[in-house]
Amino acid sequence: MNPITLSLKLLGRQGQSMPLVMLLAGLAVATAALSAVSLFTDRVGRAMERQASEALAADLIVAGRERVPVEFVDQARSMGLETAELVLVSTVIFAGDESNLIDVKAATDGYPLRGRLQVSPELGADDREVEQGPRPGEAWLEPRAVRTLDLELPATVELGRRTLDASQVLTWEPDRGGSRFMLAPRMLVHFDDLMAADLLGPGSRARFRLLIAGSERSVAEFGSWVSDRLDDNQALITVADAEDQTGQALTQARRFLGIAALTAVILAAVAILLTALRYQRSQRDLIALLKCFGASTTQVGLAMVLVLAWLVLIAVAVGGAAGWLAQESIVRALAEAPVGELPPARLLPLLGSAVFTVLLAAGFALPPLMSLRRVPPMRILNRAMDRMRTPWLLSWGLAIAGALAIPVLQLGDLRLAVIVLGACLVLALALALTGWLAMLGTRTLATRAGPSWRFGLAGLQRRRAGGILQITALGLALMALLLLLVVRGELMSQWQSSLPPDTPDHFLVNIQPDQVEAVGERLTSIGARNLQIRPMANANLLRVSGQRPPDDRMAGQVNISWIDELPPANEIVAGEFFAPGATGEVSLAEMWAERLGVELGDELTFESGALEFSARVTSIRRVDWNSFNVNFFILLTPDAGQVLPHQHIASFYLADGDGSVLRPLNREFPNISILDIGALIQRVQEIIDQVSNAAQVVFFFTLIAGLVVLLAAIEATRDERRHESALIRTLGADNGLVRRGILVEYGVMALIAGLLATGGAAVTGWLMARELFNFAYQPTPILFALGFVAAFILVLGSGWIGNRSVLATPPVRILRAG
Amino acid sequence: MITAIMERMHAPEKLILDCRHVGFRVDAPDGELVILDDISFQLNGSETLAIVGASGSGKTTLLGLLAGLDRPTRGEVWLAGQQLNQLDENERARLRRQRVGFVFQSFHLLPSLTALDNVILAIEIAGMDRAGERARQALAQVGLDQRLRHYPRQLSGGEQQRVAIARAFAIEPDILFADEPTGNLDRSTGERIASLLFDLNRQHGTALVLVTHDPHLAERCQRVLTLDGGRLVGADDAQAKPIAATASL
Ligand SMILES: Nc1ncnc2c1ncn2[C@@H]1O[C@H](COP(=O)(O)OP(=O)(O)O)[C@@H](O)[C@H]1O
Ligand SMILES: [Mg+2]
Repeated sequence: MNPITLSLKLLGRQGQSMPLVMLLAGLAVATAALSAVSLFTDRVGRAMERQASEALAADLIVAGRERVPVEFVDQARSMGLETAELVLVSTVIFAGDESNLIDVKAATDGYPLRGRLQVSPELGADDREVEQGPRPGEAWLEPRAVRTLDLELPATVELGRRTLDASQVLTWEPDRGGSRFMLAPRMLVHFDDLMAADLLGPGSRARFRLLIAGSERSVAEFGSWVSDRLDDNQALITVADAEDQTGQALTQARRFLGIAALTAVILAAVAILLTALRYQRSQRDLIALLKCFGASTTQVGLAMVLVLAWLVLIAVAVGGAAGWLAQESIVRALAEAPVGELPPARLLPLLGSAVFTVLLAAGFALPPLMSLRRVPPMRILNRAMDRMRTPWLLSWGLAIAGALAIPVLQLGDLRLAVIVLGACLVLALALALTGWLAMLGTRTLATRAGPSWRFGLAGLQRRRAGGILQITALGLALMALLLLLVVRGELMSQWQSSLPPDTPDHFLVNIQPDQVEAVGERLTSIGARNLQIRPMANANLLRVSGQRPPDDRMAGQVNISWIDELPPANEIVAGEFFAPGATGEVSLAEMWAERLGVELGDELTFESGALEFSARVTSIRRVDWNSFNVNFFILLTPDAGQVLPHQHIASFYLADGDGSVLRPLNREFPNISILDIGALIQRVQEIIDQVSNAAQVVFFFTLIAGLVVLLAAIEATRDERRHESALIRTLGADNGLVRRGILVEYGVMALIAGLLATGGAAVTGWLMARELFNFAYQPTPILFALGFVAAFILVLGSGWIGNRSVLATPPVRILRAG
Repeated sequence: MITAIMERMHAPEKLILDCRHVGFRVDAPDGELVILDDISFQLNGSETLAIVGASGSGKTTLLGLLAGLDRPTRGEVWLAGQQLNQLDENERARLRRQRVGFVFQSFHLLPSLTALDNVILAIEIAGMDRAGERARQALAQVGLDQRLRHYPRQLSGGEQQRVAIARAFAIEPDILFADEPTGNLDRSTGERIASLLFDLNRQHGTALVLVTHDPHLAERCQRVLTLDGGRLVGADDAQAKPIAATASL
């Protein structure tokens, strides 16, 4: 017999048989989840590749906290290099009645040196490449900025002292790469405007960049010339650095979605295994017959491989198409977050998913199917002659390891994959254990309830192993979705309301000493609460008790302040805070001291400008950073203020939340930058929302895989159920009793699954709240309502679908059942 | 309702089963297949009847029709004064749960329930009170009072069949149907089970319809009907109304 004909016959004959359909479904779901993620990451990857060469808008950058010395520029020019300068600063921008925190980039003529800017005259209009950045007096805003400021171009915006003409929508910056997750939207202006806006005081947190471009040799020469002349706060950024950074962003996205896909794949693998086992059981008689007629072991084996091959083919087609649609929704969910404009999807990544599906089939479906080769023809005469041998453990282990290899590769991080797999395993075991205990509990119930309970719970007990598997699979999938759908939102809102009502939501930086009093008055008059204005100076940490401080980004240039009493939200954990009139002392935040290994009694030596000074560590403070107050790692005794050049920084809560009341202040003191923390938090939340929306798409496949497990398990036990139902009907049970019995069986399962899913999500949320946000999370009734309703709909729904034929079984069947 | 009560009162003499010209045909790919043809007989309460015949002669099919598990395509079956043809599936189930006990060739206990719970389930389905107490009694009657908490897989074939017999009698049925009750047991166990069945039957005064191809077993019944190719070919008693041919044994 020709194996191809045989395989087609086997498929054709059983085309509608449930085990085959479920096997197909399991394979297709796994393909879909993986295709979605790989299609998406491929698009992001290509977008980033395309950008990498222009990611700096230059060939080399000198970056620093201050404007680079003119001699750098002169040297570059003399080497025949092109130059341009950039300043980046975040501040609140006013436009009409609106105000928002904007990431301002100011560029000299010539920017960008590599790549092109693209602009459009209004939102949604076609964009075009331009040779040059904005002219003085012009501002170009990213679409998100246009929307948050509610602008109708052309319009005017106020940048500190300057009023600018918002003339274009900025649709593309070549050097946006690393800051794809940029918190505030971008506004691009001319360098001269920002300098004239008076925003760049010493505390403004502005970042300056000198862009260099030219021949490879000259760039390299300039690089080595300049690297000897850089101070501690300056750094060289090369194209390779930029690639690293974009690569990292891609890796992050890939990891997150990869984890989601991996859970879908694990459940799909379970479903595939279940259905394959069921399928081979249903085929044993037929195969025994074929062998009686002379089919050889090789022919049967080959036919089975082919059956599986056809299934894989269909699964790749169906799953690939579903994955294609899903990646579109992922892209849409992430529209404004990390990815921006993407190249269209291409078919190539589907090849990888196909290979993976083949491995999955080989790992989980082939071993059971291949065991059909060994069916003894004697089975035809006597079924007892056919002892199903459990396949050799090692061959299974190898196959399964092979099938899991691809998602692990996809994740691109072995350690992380092991952690995810391990966590899944631990979670599954915990769920299974709880499920098992709950089922044990129902056993006692069974002895004191009516016939439908007794019958239903008897079914539950009988199919306990399968039931636990179903509950675990569905519980896991539901838990993941509940975490994303419900707990995430609740965490955010509960965290925000856990903050005291007048938690500062605005910061003012760069307040000059002679402005402090006036600014304080003005702020009080517009209703600012919880106002703190604190001095701040920049200094370099030179020595710790005579030694060079460790090489750490928290050493080097530091912000310092001084005060005569312990500020709120601070707690002394070692030593004692400054006594009144103390001088030459310093108090450190615990986190900073531990990181740099500084202890009580050490002497810190700082340098500010030409001034060098020292102070002895007399106390260590624990700071509640969640308080959003202005806090400093390093606090000096007030005598420091007498000698150090400094400015002030203010934090306050603005009662009515409307930033436009700050406009007069902005006009009067244009040098002051306003930071809107509320807007920042909102932006963080938006990003989290978008990323979890994307992950939801993938976790949706996990849920489908869980459902396939559920249906596969129902399918595997259907004959048993039909038999039991026929039996109790013979004993006189009516349809209602049988139906109620099934309802009890699945109802209890749904209850346990719902319990596990909501409980798991609530506990995870509680742990996250405690560890990350430092507050006590309280799950709301919505979580439980949603979890239980979903569990009941899914479990009872599939129970109903899977058991329709059970209800239709006539009792007379019991007389014919062996 | 009233007839039902009256029947109960006169149980011993009263007709429990009346089979009138029953036929059963199924549609087969090549035409109609006659499985049972024109079967008629009557059975009084507390009578015992054996149905014998070769394999494939239609014994099991007939039993299913008599017990109301299926409906005949021709003729009528009256069970405990009710015409089964006119009852729907659920009404027949209700009749069975109160009046009818079953013993099967392959025992058919629910594997995830203990012996006790298997019996309790049947009593509960019958809607009778004191299910636990009745079940214990029934199991004691079959000599299994030490095995109440055992699951079917922990019991031998003979013991499982005893649980099934306890389950059948626990609901105090008017009539008991047994399809090859010793078919899956070795000879000596089979004999002991048969004796138990007949003893309990006598004690409870239940009518018994026993399907078997074992002549010894059939002999222990008061009456024997022989089926051949779906037709009644022999009845060894005078009361049997239809075609009384030669006694067949
Ligand atoms: N629903 C049915 N459809 C087709 N054939 C049936 C059906 N029920 C019974 N038969 C056939 O009717 C004949 C009698 O079967 P059965 O009553 O089981 O005989 P016995 O119990 O005497 O061995 C057999 O040939 C059987 O295959
Ligand atoms: Mg039979």
